[in-house]
Amino acid sequence: MLVTLMAFGSILAACGGEEAASTDTTTPTETATDTTTPDETATEETGTDSESAIGLTEAEDIATGNDTALARTDSAIIGTVAPQGIFNPLFHQTSYDFYVDYLIFPSLTKVKTDGTYENDLADDIKISDDNKTYTFHIRDDANYSDGTPVKASDYLFTMKLYMDASYDGQSDPLSWNVVGADEYNKGTATDISGIKVIDDKTVEVTVSDYDAMTQVNLGGIAPLSEAYYGANYKQGEIASVKEFNTKPMGAGPYKLTKYAAGQEVDFEANENYYDGAPKIPKLIYKVTTDTTNLAMLQNGESDLDNITVTEDNVEELKAAGFLDVNILKNNGYGYVAMNNKNPMFADVKVRQALTYGLNRAEVVEAAYGPYAEVINIPQSDVSWAYTSENIDPYDYDIEKAKALLDEAGWVEGSDGIREKDGKKFEVNFSATAENPVVDALIPIMTQNYEELGVKLIVETLDFNAIMEKKDRGDYDMFFAAWGLTPDPDSTVYITDGAQNNSGYSNPKVDELYKEGKKELDLEKRKAIYAEAYQLINADAPEILMYQRTNMLGINGRLDGWDVSPYKDFPLSLHQVEIAQ
Amino acid sequence: MSQYIIRRLLQMIPTLIGISIIVFAISQLVPGDYITATQNPNLTAERIAQLRALYGLDLPPVQQYFVWAKNMLVGDLGQSLQHQMPVTKVINTYVWNSFIIAFFSFVFSWIIAAFVGVFSAQFQYSFFDKVVTLLVFLLMSLPSFFIGLLAIKYFALDMKLLPTGGMTTAGLNATGWAYIKDVGLHMFMPVVVMTTLSVGGLTRYFRTGMLEVIRQDYIRTARAKGLKERTVIFKHAFRNALLPAITLLGFELPGLFGGAMILERVFNWPGIGQIYLASLNLRDYPLMLGFTMFLAVLTLLGNLISDVLYGVADPRIRLK
Repeated sequence: MLVTLMAFGSILAACGGEEAASTDTTTPTETATDTTTPDETATEETGTDSESAIGLTEAEDIATGNDTALARTDSAIIGTVAPQGIFNPLFHQTSYDFYVDYLIFPSLTKVKTDGTYENDLADDIKISDDNKTYTFHIRDDANYSDGTPVKASDYLFTMKLYMDASYDGQSDPLSWNVVGADEYNKGTATDISGIKVIDDKTVEVTVSDYDAMTQVNLGGIAPLSEAYYGANYKQGEIASVKEFNTKPMGAGPYKLTKYAAGQEVDFEANENYYDGAPKIPKLIYKVTTDTTNLAMLQNGESDLDNITVTEDNVEELKAAGFLDVNILKNNGYGYVAMNNKNPMFADVKVRQALTYGLNRAEVVEAAYGPYAEVINIPQSDVSWAYTSENIDPYDYDIEKAKALLDEAGWVEGSDGIREKDGKKFEVNFSATAENPVVDALIPIMTQNYEELGVKLIVETLDFNAIMEKKDRGDYDMFFAAWGLTPDPDSTVYITDGAQNNSGYSNPKVDELYKEGKKELDLEKRKAIYAEAYQLINADAPEILMYQRTNMLGINGRLDGWDVSPYKDFPLSLHQVEIAQ
Repeated sequence: MSQYIIRRLLQMIPTLIGISIIVFAISQLVPGDYITATQNPNLTAERIAQLRALYGLDLPPVQQYFVWAKNMLVGDLGQSLQHQMPVTKVINTYVWNSFIIAFFSFVFSWIIAAFVGVFSAQFQYSFFDKVVTLLVFLLMSLPSFFIGLLAIKYFALDMKLLPTGGMTTAGLNATGWAYIKDVGLHMFMPVVVMTTLSVGGLTRYFRTGMLEVIRQDYIRTARAKGLKERTVIFKHAFRNALLPAITLLGFELPGLFGGAMILERVFNWPGIGQIYLASLNLRDYPLMLGFTMFLAVLTLLGNLISDVLYGVADPRIRLK
């Protein structure tokens, strides 16, 4: 129960990021609004390489034992954790509100299965030679579900809402560097000078500075109808827009017909949808819990749900026969943070020794069985930025670890615990309660490190308390997990970065991350990030643990999905058909 | 009497101020706020500072308290950070769902407890009494999530008699009687489980109250007059045995609106209990503080009501 409740905690607005450690088992990570780089050479779907456990297993026979679901000939029921009822892309915070918003609010560009982007609501995007002016043309056939056309002025209106001083959503619109945004935010201008409405369907955006994220940020905007949302909006007072949160109206494939808080969200196909009316006329998002969602799939009460990946659950889903089981790599990774600013961990040899000296494969096997893999760089292996070249796999090697600690000057004392300058090697590990990884990690780590001559002292704390200790720099080690965005840009490993939990600092890495963010050429970016990951791998600023998986159970009667770790299932719902 | 009520209501003011200071202080002492709890990775340090300012988290705690208290005086409990809507609206959305199941289980558990308590007192140490006592302790010691899950497995998944959870059938869109019937089916299991869990303790109260009364002289007198045993028990003894229960009644008031955190979770019931728990985990302080104050007011009112009822029911007590 706690695990699921804390899933609310991960609720990552625009994309992945750190999830509370305890949320790591249940939460799909958001990926949509953040990425870059079109024209990526698509890597084949996950799981074909090393793990046969990962990937898609198709239903064998959709007709047997599936009567309840087959009886729903014009509708599909999607099981989900309860959304918060914030059905507005400016304000939504949880993945589950995203699930709803995907269906109602299309953005100018949308994510593809490989994590790159393609045009959606926009049919043409022109970028000036200096990369500072972006001209978007909105499809001529794009209309809102009330029949009015999607206009370029709606894009401007939506941008005004983002730049408004009272905007308290989770996006960081001022970081997009749109010309005139600051003035609008401060109230010294009533218009955003950098956004020009050229004609009804064309809008031109100028930025003061560009990077690889600029096109993603600007194209990720889903225009809101000014006529509908802007009726009572005044600059500096965005509250009136929020009143429409539970009555959303957009240009997407579905329109919301009913929202019952904590129970269900009902949709009807939007016949005016520019990509053709969706093939499933009625859609229901039903709130489910992790205690019964598997059973509901099995007896046909729901057609799709996120199921926690365990060997038992996978078995059960496959045994049903009429369910597709799709196990996808999670965009994120778990790690053990070490306080690099603590003199104990300041020496790179010590950090390497603690990585070599921990049997990570055993921990991961104990926590997730075959459904997670040990990682050695902080990147998903389905990302274009992933590299395994010149990466030390840090295979468990206790002798090597001992030798490294000896070299670092930590020598075994009379009681078997290593000492240096009269100080014993004792590590305080702050652990969150009821977390499957921590439960598997602690016994193995304690034993491994004891052999190494390092004493592990475990204290159990609330996740927030651990984060506060981290902010004060008053910790030795803790376990947590990061979500990853499709784009490799991040502040986790740059000096004093907003997400730099371990206090790691390497000027060369800082430089590479800066370069990688500014570079627009994908091949060049690949090389830059590969170099950064090699440096991080050698520096071992934290003990990287695993990349886990998520699982979708889908009734075989629904066909036409196009899902990947980067493309959530609602993004292809409009093309899904009911097989008869 | 009305003077008494007014005086008690006035006394509630300093009590509530005290409570508000304590809960606010506790919320300040707990590590973390909404921003650290959600850990959105995209936020730059500047955006975090902007958001803290927009949420009012950047003010010194004392000032934050006064802003909060001042708004509360005009009925504004603030904006829930997770739900992005006024706290009063969030509470109003979910609290009635909790109320429905709490109310029915309250009614059933009191009726059942009263009868079972009376009979096991009347036949103290009989076989019936012993079985009841055993059952009562069994039920009291069962963890709610366990029997909840067990009930779901047997009645919903295996026998398919009842729905697995939630409050309505997805996509049914029923109205009128069909709607009531649908909700009734969905609330059956949660109400039964909640009743089962609370009936145990209550039975003991009634039994003890009854045992005390049965030994009184006026009961012996009534029996000596030759009255029927049923008249003795229900007319003379039962009414007096109910008096101590009035105190309990007052405590039930916040329980009716407080929501059942664990059971709502198990049965996927869209109640306030799970929302409240999430607000604690996520450090959504406006919602958490607002709902805590709401419960505090109900608790004080419940006390007042039980005191007044006591005065009404028992002529020996005069309220001044």
